Amino acid sequence: MSQTSNPTQQRTFAQKFRKNYIGWLFIILSVLGISLFYFYPMVQALLLSLQSGMGSTLEYVGLDNYVRLFNDPTFITALTNTILYLLIQVPVMIVLALIFSVLLNDPTLKFKGFFRTAIFLPAVTSLVAYAVIFKYLFGNDGLVNDFLLNMNLVSEPLNWLSDPFLAKITIIIAITWRWTGYNMIFYLSALQNVDKSMYEASKIDGASAIQQFFFITIPLLKPIILFTSIVSTIGTLQLFDEVMNITSGGPGNATMTISMYIYNLSFEYTPDFGYAATVSYVILILVVILSFIQFRVAGDRD
Amino acid sequence: MKQIKRVFTYLFLSVAALVSIFPFIWMLISMTNKSVDVTSGRLIPGTHFIENLNKLLDQTQIGIALWNSFLIAVITTVLTLLIGSLAGYGFEIYRSKGKDILFNILILSMMIPFAAIMIPLYRLFGQISADAPLIGLDTLAAAFLPTIITAFFIFFFRQNTKMFAKELVEAGRIDGLGEWGIFFRIYMPTMKTTYAAAAIIAFMNSWNNYLWPLVVLQSPEKQTIPLLISNLGAGYTPDYGVIMTAIVIATLPTALVFFLMQRHFVAGMMGSVKG
Amino acid sequence: MRKKLSTKLWLLMVALLTALVLAACSGGDDEESGDDTSEGDDAGITAWAWDPNFNIAALELAKEHYDKDDFNMEIIENAQDDIVQKLNTGLSSGTMKGMPNIVLIEDQRAQSFLQSYPDAFYPIGDYFNKEDFASYKLVPTSHDGKQYGLPFDTGVTGLFYRTDYLEEAGYTHDDLVDITWSKYVEIAKDVKEKTGQAMLSLDPNDLGILRVMMQTTGTWYTTEDGSIQLEGNEPLKLALENYKELMENDVVKLNSDWSQYLAAFNSGDVASVPAGNWIAPSVEAEESQAGQWRVAPTPRLDMEGAVNASNQGGSSFYVLNIDGKEKAAEFLGGTFGSNVDFYQDLVQEVGALGTYIPASEGDAYQFENEFFNNQQVVHDFSQWMEEIPQVDYGMNTYGIEDILSAEIQQYLDGKSLEDVLSDSQAQAENQFK
Repeated sequence: MSQTSNPTQQRTFAQKFRKNYIGWLFIILSVLGISLFYFYPMVQALLLSLQSGMGSTLEYVGLDNYVRLFNDPTFITALTNTILYLLIQVPVMIVLALIFSVLLNDPTLKFKGFFRTAIFLPAVTSLVAYAVIFKYLFGNDGLVNDFLLNMNLVSEPLNWLSDPFLAKITIIIAITWRWTGYNMIFYLSALQNVDKSMYEASKIDGASAIQQFFFITIPLLKPIILFTSIVSTIGTLQLFDEVMNITSGGPGNATMTISMYIYNLSFEYTPDFGYAATVSYVILILVVILSFIQFRVAGDRD
Repeated sequence: MKQIKRVFTYLFLSVAALVSIFPFIWMLISMTNKSVDVTSGRLIPGTHFIENLNKLLDQTQIGIALWNSFLIAVITTVLTLLIGSLAGYGFEIYRSKGKDILFNILILSMMIPFAAIMIPLYRLFGQISADAPLIGLDTLAAAFLPTIITAFFIFFFRQNTKMFAKELVEAGRIDGLGEWGIFFRIYMPTMKTTYAAAAIIAFMNSWNNYLWPLVVLQSPEKQTIPLLISNLGAGYTPDYGVIMTAIVIATLPTALVFFLMQRHFVAGMMGSVKG
Repeated sequence: MRKKLSTKLWLLMVALLTALVLAACSGGDDEESGDDTSEGDDAGITAWAWDPNFNIAALELAKEHYDKDDFNMEIIENAQDDIVQKLNTGLSSGTMKGMPNIVLIEDQRAQSFLQSYPDAFYPIGDYFNKEDFASYKLVPTSHDGKQYGLPFDTGVTGLFYRTDYLEEAGYTHDDLVDITWSKYVEIAKDVKEKTGQAMLSLDPNDLGILRVMMQTTGTWYTTEDGSIQLEGNEPLKLALENYKELMENDVVKLNSDWSQYLAAFNSGDVASVPAGNWIAPSVEAEESQAGQWRVAPTPRLDMEGAVNASNQGGSSFYVLNIDGKEKAAEFLGGTFGSNVDFYQDLVQEVGALGTYIPASEGDAYQFENEFFNNQQVVHDFSQWMEEIPQVDYGMNTYGIEDILSAEIQQYLDGKSLEDVLSDSQAQAENQFK
């Protein structure tokens, strides 16, 4: 009884309730929108993954599609390639983007606007142009080979696009080239919210730039690094544009990705939307596992 | 020592800038060449720019496509930022167990390839069309509606909110501001650079969005820029000079948005706010 | 103050939501009243095609030749891959709104549409006489005994070659007429040795050349009943041997996309282009090479029954089973299905070669093309067209080819041909059972 009569106690409770209820108002529109535009179709896709057939002539086959996956060499190749891209490309890109953003965050640096815009440009370059240019640069008599030959680094032109190993390297270079500037933006914007005085204090303590990078910048940017890693993981697991436009998955299936396989199953071959949905859910499961690990590693608690 | 480091930094950035910008320059040059020269990789500016431009204006309705893309991109950017930041803020500031679980579920929505949900989504819009043709198939609204509410931006704003001192919110409450007031009067101005980054990304995503607008927009007068460029390359004898001209025109708006927004990334501006 | 602000924002939110709901509802009313007029009888029809200089121009021309009152057709340009995606999305979701009345589909894809979406297409066999068309076009455009497609362009192939390079290597036109692919390989080596030029340009990801070779014998990856025949497929085996010979003797200039393919012959880096007749405008694009090109018949595989004629690409018009289908079918039947004069204009103005046989007697087909040394190119192509062996492309051409192209990589690296084909066979059977 005495508790209710305590005015402060009562106010905090009311406040708490009000805050909580307002909190829901902040997110309600998103929850409804995502449910309608994403979850509803996702449930339908899940049902679809239990069906098989051509085009609109589908019938329920239970888990057959999921069994089929394990005996499908194209799927296994696509999965292996995609994971390879992920393991090599995402860390390289994240580190490069971090380095660029830290260098470009230096207030005394000149031509910052130019450098930032230049490094971001690949992300806005139209895919069509980008593909034509990449194929031209990495062609047998393209500029990359010319350069390597002139520098005497290789004795004969490398088949960047038609050798199964080199084609994968080309794709990795292409994605890194296109998306590093994009990731840089997230770091650059986050760095503006970092308290500058921390750097000044550490400078007085005699910390080097590299020490500052590892002991101040990285820990502070942790939420954003987590964000970019997860987003890049998702992006790479759904990688499609670059492969489709530069190598079309070739030579053979050497650069094929899971998303490209989904596209082929849906549109390039006689459409089997059921099996395509099954493959899509494999991506979902993979991302869930990888994101869970990343959340854990980053320790996403305050 | 410091001098050397400086020189090295500039050298590194210049090489990176050159590598990044080269294809763009190549596009600019190609825009002035005729198709045969473009395909053979000519790197010298030519004299066919006016011709290419005339052909482009003649063959396509690029003005309409630019307007459609622009309209969609602006609406998408504004709504995405507003809705995404509200939710990102809501999830972080009013954190509760229930909301954390809900957040993780929402994140699931960005993990499925779009191709997988495209057909059910299309069917959904087909059904909407019967009752509400203003947002049904073949409307600009249908092209942007599924893209304005995304887990991506909720996640992005939430992570940035984590970095933004909660003391600010507390300070706002002590100052007697309401919950919405804190969001609009303190959070939004303080997070200017986060909004700038999000605006760049949202504008770019919308500007380049291909697959969904492709299936959902059917009349030629609703065409967006990526669809127009796709059509240009479609024939058996594509004119690469014209394609490059179209691509340069299509790239400039996003490049411009970026250039205007990146000026907000000025180091140390926030240093004092936190004190 | 604090209270006031949040109330205001509340109001704003409510107003926004109301506006949205209202917009949705009022939209509903519009639709109901709008429906009656849009589906009325005098509504126009729509058509989808992909090349403004080719099939779209052909449709425009057909529209001009079709003098039926109040006929109104909107032609919409979409890239071919885009059409495939839009059509698949629309048809599989069962939402026919916005689907066209007439759509152009590549012959090699047609069966997968016809069989995947039963009832989505309208049989148009009654609107024209199918005996008037090149026989090889009829199998891919029909299903279950019903004719669904109206044959449009032919993909009849020819061997485009550079007279100057071949002469330098000691070959005349007659040396190239009616040859086999193994002879072609031999000539290729000779040309490389004597002129230093590559014989042709190939994209290792595109096995079109194998299909061209195979069809000279009337065989395909699949049999007519749809079963996969890679293992023990003699024509395919022979084609692959020739392919390997070409690849290993440095006579191929590799390309990795269409623009590089075009560049290869436009910049004079290859001595020949074995391709469908539709490549002619791209060859002619490099005006400085006028008079240096000619066209010989397609080489055949070195087998009993093979002919010097083949096909690459080509497409046909289909009518969707929606309102306006009769009107659309009548239009196609009245133009592409029967109008000889229209076909003369089609050759002259658009440069498109149809598969309507009565048209080849017309004057336009006798035209001597200066670019090709005054050869009657169109006439020659139309002659070869009638000899193209008929094959059923089936449903899985592209799927099988993806499997095959991975195996071909290993074949080039030394895996035995028997193993390559039997492994491909096993994989394909597993995937397309």
